[in-house]
Amino acid sequence: MAINYSAIQNALQEFVTSVGNVQGASIMSPDGLALASSLPPGMEEDRVAAMSAAMLALGERIGRELARGNIERILIEGDNGFAMVSGCTDDAVLIVLTDDKVKLGVLNLEVKQLVNRLRPMLTFSKPQVA
Amino acid sequence: MERTLSKQIMRIVVTGPVGAGKTTLIKTISEIDVVETDRAATDDSALLKPNTTVAMDFGRITFGADMAVHIYGTPGQERFDFMWDILVRRAHALMLLVPLHRPSDFFMASKMLRYLQFHASEVPLVVVGTHSDLPDAWPVEEVLPALGVESELELPVFGINATQVQDVAQVLIALIERYQRWVQAEPVRQ
Repeated sequence: MAINYSAIQNALQEFVTSVGNVQGASIMSPDGLALASSLPPGMEEDRVAAMSAAMLALGERIGRELARGNIERILIEGDNGFAMVSGCTDDAVLIVLTDDKVKLGVLNLEVKQLVNRLRPMLTFSKPQVA
Repeated sequence: MERTLSKQIMRIVVTGPVGAGKTTLIKTISEIDVVETDRAATDDSALLKPNTTVAMDFGRITFGADMAVHIYGTPGQERFDFMWDILVRRAHALMLLVPLHRPSDFFMASKMLRYLQFHASEVPLVVVGTHSDLPDAWPVEEVLPALGVESELELPVFGINATQVQDVAQVLIALIERYQRWVQAEPVRQ
């Protein structure tokens, strides 16, 4: 079964518009290729994808090297808000951008819910190799 | 590097197109377990290899008690050019790897060379032709013209098999020597 990208796109768009303080969301392959996005204007999907994948890979490596176990999420806190990167499935990485007023507890819950919604959309049966 | 007393650390950055052998080279020469950030490739590079570096590689070699070389490898795809930027900014010396058996990658290599010449024009650089052991590898002396390098630039160029320790060591030593000459020419640098 093929992946329904417009459904994923819609889910991201809905997440960004309905959850307070969220400014953008994007999902990408673990090697940094964009799959679907709803990003603030002027933000380039391909760059966001590559950066998020690089950060998660580095974070996971740090987690392993420094014995922190599995990485749940990576959080970047800036003056203007947060960027949260988390693994979504084995084949997808999610980044969520928020303003600086967001309540982290709420964000964590919302992101968890989004991941649960996205997960079945991102799973597909791999083509059989003859 | 000129200051002694404490341990000297030299940072070398290895860059080049996808599948040039950056990770392989670092794994060949590093004395520590290489810090890799590879992920399953889903772009064109999957045709060449199953995994691709998405953030960086890191390896280390120590020379005696007071000098260590830290080697960083960049991702090869252009979408990761922000990692080139991060790594190149603090580099003491640079290696540009060019896969000799894939002339279709020479354009990307020349793009990267121009990037390095623009962003780190002062930093010592060597061009390293890899996969020189393969029958369809280009002769190494044809690499610089193919990259569009003017002959008066005098860039050192090598042809190596990145899986061979002696090949990699030879390039590394040449680069370190070049770096030391450069530092001596202008001792305020460190």
